[in-house]
Amino acid sequence: MILVIVVGTALAFDFTNGFHDTANVVATSISTGAARPSVAIGAASLLNFVGAFISISVAATVANDVVNSAVVTPTVVFAGLIGAIAWNLITWSFGLPSSSSHALIGGVVGSAVAAAGFDAVLTDGLIGKVLIPAVIAPILAFLVAGIAIALIYRVVGRQRPGTVTRGFRYGQIVSGGLLALAHGTNDAQKTMGIITLALVANGTLGANADPPLWVIVSSALAIALGTYSGGWRIIRTTGTRIIKMDAAQGFSSQGAGAAVILASTHFGFPLSTTHVINGGVMGAGAAKRVSAVRWGIAGNIVTAWLLTLPAAAAIGALAYGVTAIFGSGALGPVLVTLMSLSLIVAVFARRSQHGAPVPAS
Amino acid sequence: MAAVIVETKELVETVIASLVAGVGMTVIFSVAIWGVARFADLSRNERPLAAGAAAALAGVALLATLAGVVFGIVVMTRK
Repeated sequence: MILVIVVGTALAFDFTNGFHDTANVVATSISTGAARPSVAIGAASLLNFVGAFISISVAATVANDVVNSAVVTPTVVFAGLIGAIAWNLITWSFGLPSSSSHALIGGVVGSAVAAAGFDAVLTDGLIGKVLIPAVIAPILAFLVAGIAIALIYRVVGRQRPGTVTRGFRYGQIVSGGLLALAHGTNDAQKTMGIITLALVANGTLGANADPPLWVIVSSALAIALGTYSGGWRIIRTTGTRIIKMDAAQGFSSQGAGAAVILASTHFGFPLSTTHVINGGVMGAGAAKRVSAVRWGIAGNIVTAWLLTLPAAAAIGALAYGVTAIFGSGALGPVLVTLMSLSLIVAVFARRSQHGAPVPAS
Repeated sequence: MAAVIVETKELVETVIASLVAGVGMTVIFSVAIWGVARFADLSRNERPLAAGAAAALAGVALLATLAGVVFGIVVMTRK
C-alpha cells in the first residue's frame, strides 16, 4: 500500500515538473515565431517522452549517490517527495523561480536525515554530483550561448535580415527539439531514480539496481503529459510572459541549453533544467546588450539556489516527522497526503482570491 | 580527496563537450545560413559560379550540423 502511494506521489511530482517547465522548453520557439504554440507544445511533449529513454545515468545518481539506500525506507522517499511538492507549490504561489530538481533532492535528503541522522547522506555524491554541477551548469550555458551568439552575429551580421531570420527559425525547430529531448532525459530520470530508490527500500529491487522498464515508461508518460497540460496554459499567457528575442538568439540559447543538459546527463549530473535554460537565454541576451537582460531574474535564481535545497529539506524532514508519528504503515502517508491536498486547495484558493503572482520569467 | 568529491574529470569533459557542441554546432549552422543568403544575393546579381559555391558551402555546413546532432545523440545513448 505505502509503495503504491509513493509511486503515485512520485509520478504526480513528475507531472508537475513537466507542467512547471513547459514555458522554459517552448517559450523561445514561440517567442521568435519559429513554431506555433500548439506545434511547439505537442513536439516538446513527444520529445520529452522519447528523451526519457535515452539514458539512466541521472536515475542511477539519484537512486545511489545522494542518500544511503540501506537506511532509506518508502516512508523516507514519500516524505522527501512531499517536501519537494510543497516547496514547489509555495514558490509557485509567490511567483519565485524554483528548481523542481533541487527541491526533490533537498526533500529526500531532509527526510533521510530526519529518519537516520546525517550519516544517511552521501556527502561526496551530494557535493560532487549535485551541488557543484548545479552552480557550474547555468554559468556554462550563459557562456556557451554568449560566445555562440557573438560569433553568429560576426558570420551573418551583414546578410539580409529576412533570410537570416528565416534560417534561424528553421534551425530552432532542431534546437528546440533537442532542448525538449534534453529536458525529458534529465528531468524524467530524477523521478525514475526516486521510484527506484523506493523499490530498493521496499526490498522489491536489489541495491544499485537499474530502473525497471515500467518505471521508465510511467515516468516518461507523466512528464510528457505534464508538459502537454502545462502548454495549454502557456498558450493563453504567451503574449505577456515571454521575453522577446531574435531568432538567432533563440537558436543559440536553445543550442547552449541542450548541449549543457545532454553533456551533463551523459555523466549522470542531475541538473536544474530551469536554471540552465535561463542561463542560456541570459547569455544570448547579454552578448547583444548587457542591459537587455532582466538581471532581477538572475538575482531571483540565485536566491532560489540558496533557498531551495535547505527549505525543501526542512519540509521533507517535517513531513517525515509527522508521517512517522503514525508508524511505518500506510496510515501516516495517507494522512499526510490528505494534508498536502488541503494545502494545494488552499494555495489555489489564495491565488483565485489575489490573482496570479507576478511572473518570475 | 577534493578531486574525488568534485569529479573533476567528468566536469571538465562536460564543460568541453558543452562548449564544442553548443558553440560549434551553432556557428556551423550560421555558416549554412550565410551560404544561403550569399547564394540568393549572388544569384540576383547573375554570378552563377560564386552562387553555386555559396550553395555548396551552405549544403556542407547543413550536413555537418545534422551529423553533429546525430553524433551527439548517439554518444549520449552509448554510455
